[in-house]
Amino acid sequence: MAKRSSGGRWPVYLLSIAVCVLFLGPLLWGLASSLRPLDEIFRYTMPFSLQALYPTTPTLDAYRVIFFEKGFGRAVLNTAFVATATVLGGLLVAALAGFAFARLEFPGKRLLFVLTVVTFMVPFEAIAIPLYDLVQGFGWVDTYQALIAPGVANGIAIFLFRQFFSEIPSDLVDAARLDGASWLGILFQIFLPLSKPVMIGASLLLFLFQWESFLWPLIAVRSEQFKVVQVALSDFQTQYTTLWNELFAASIVAAVIPLLLLLPLQRYYVQSVVGTGLK
Amino acid sequence: MARNDPIQQRGAGRVARGDAVVGLPRAASIAASARRNNWATAYLLLAPALIGLAVFRLYPIALAVWGSLHTSTFGAGAQRVFVGLDNYAFLVSNPVFWDSLWVTLKFNLVVNPIQVLLALLLAVVANQRLRGIAVYRTIFFVPIGVSVPIAAILWQMMLDPNRGVVNALLLGVGLPAQPFLTSADQALWSIIGIASWKGVSFWMVFLLAGLQGIPRELHEAAKLDGAAAVRRFLDITLPLLKRTILFVLVTDTAINFLLFAPVYLLTRGGPELSTNVLMYEAFKTGFVYADMGQGLAMVLVLLLLVLVVVGLEFRLLQAEDA
Repeated sequence: MAKRSSGGRWPVYLLSIAVCVLFLGPLLWGLASSLRPLDEIFRYTMPFSLQALYPTTPTLDAYRVIFFEKGFGRAVLNTAFVATATVLGGLLVAALAGFAFARLEFPGKRLLFVLTVVTFMVPFEAIAIPLYDLVQGFGWVDTYQALIAPGVANGIAIFLFRQFFSEIPSDLVDAARLDGASWLGILFQIFLPLSKPVMIGASLLLFLFQWESFLWPLIAVRSEQFKVVQVALSDFQTQYTTLWNELFAASIVAAVIPLLLLLPLQRYYVQSVVGTGLK
Repeated sequence: MARNDPIQQRGAGRVARGDAVVGLPRAASIAASARRNNWATAYLLLAPALIGLAVFRLYPIALAVWGSLHTSTFGAGAQRVFVGLDNYAFLVSNPVFWDSLWVTLKFNLVVNPIQVLLALLLAVVANQRLRGIAVYRTIFFVPIGVSVPIAAILWQMMLDPNRGVVNALLLGVGLPAQPFLTSADQALWSIIGIASWKGVSFWMVFLLAGLQGIPRELHEAAKLDGAAAVRRFLDITLPLLKRTILFVLVTDTAINFLLFAPVYLLTRGGPELSTNVLMYEAFKTGFVYADMGQGLAMVLVLLLLVLVVVGLEFRLLQAEDA
């Protein structure tokens, strides 16, 4: 590998750099805008001048206002709590179900699996109204459980675990069965330690499902006390639609928090690549 | 029923008497009881997931089906009246519905292949051992942390026809400014672009994980045999990645058929209904025109459509297994 000239690699580099500009550009643009006074937001864009790339008189005023005057911090904490609870519950539920679908034979397996797959073709928008009636019947309106419970059993996460588990060699299972291991023992001692990629994938999925959900929290909770990030964002848009700097400040905060959690996972990916690399 | 099986009882009796003979009946009995044991285990493992899905996903669908067979009356003493399939009959006769269906199909025929192909390309790049790849890969992850509403807010500002930075740059290099979201010709493509900007990274993660599950030795061996990079990708990588690609395609399809937020936030279905996807039309019918039965009927048609398309995708990609 080292002997190969790196000369043939430049299209890949070029592509990587182009993608990086495309992905980071809008966020940096938003960040710059969030640091500008309101009257400078569009000032240098058309015609384009270099001052458009950085805030000429940077100010943290927009951030101060959203956190200390408009209660955005509360929404951030609410969403973090709801998302974390959903990840913990969801991983357990999906791993158990995925294992049963991948490794056990039982009557009705095919039908139940098809039903599970069908559930993730269902838009939350479509079921939000009837779901509201249901949750109201539980007396859960304006509670954390109204936000958490519908997200825990996730068809995609189950599907993911099932796909991953069915690719683990049968020899491992057979050997453990002969040694008298229980199915739960096999799941927790053999399968789960092998399952870091799918655990990370499923965690991402569950976390982002909650972090990004909008319509359901909008109708399921009413009070400021339980408000979540995306709903709080939409408030900036409707009530303060001309306050671009605050809207962007809130957007940047809402984007940075999942990224802070993603980065350690991403490092884990890198390490695992290095680990399986050359030699 | 199996409990009364005479063979089994005899087998059980032998065990009870400490009979050391390992006969066929006893083996059969152990196998049968192990199987029943597995059944019980399987149902126990599935119970939390199935109860959750049944209560929070399937039961609401049943309520939606029920709702689509009704219509609401207005005014004092408003109530739901059973109208059978009237809502569906009206859909079939409604040109707006057919237009909306066509927009939805057009959107999905483009956006799903684009997103899966770009995600695959990105995953392959991220899986290269290049100098500085860790930095590139970190940046490839970034749009995952950006929600659809935020992506819409950012791009709305950048694509603004009069003062947006994209047009400023186009003019800067001597190209004409574009109307983007404000034109019936470009709005749907702009939304495809924004949705892909947000979506591709997310799907890349799964494909990257799949790529990393492929042993390097396979590639090294093929390389020694003189197989070119493209050949290796087609012969080794793609077949081993098929499950992952299928998962990505199916899930992406379901999400994109029901995509709602960018249309709601950016175009409200316009201009001239050019971005009026069925999910938005259903939302509008249900909440703006307050015709919930009609809106639910649209959603159910949409769900049916997704099932058919996903079924086709399964067929297409798994046919080669047989």
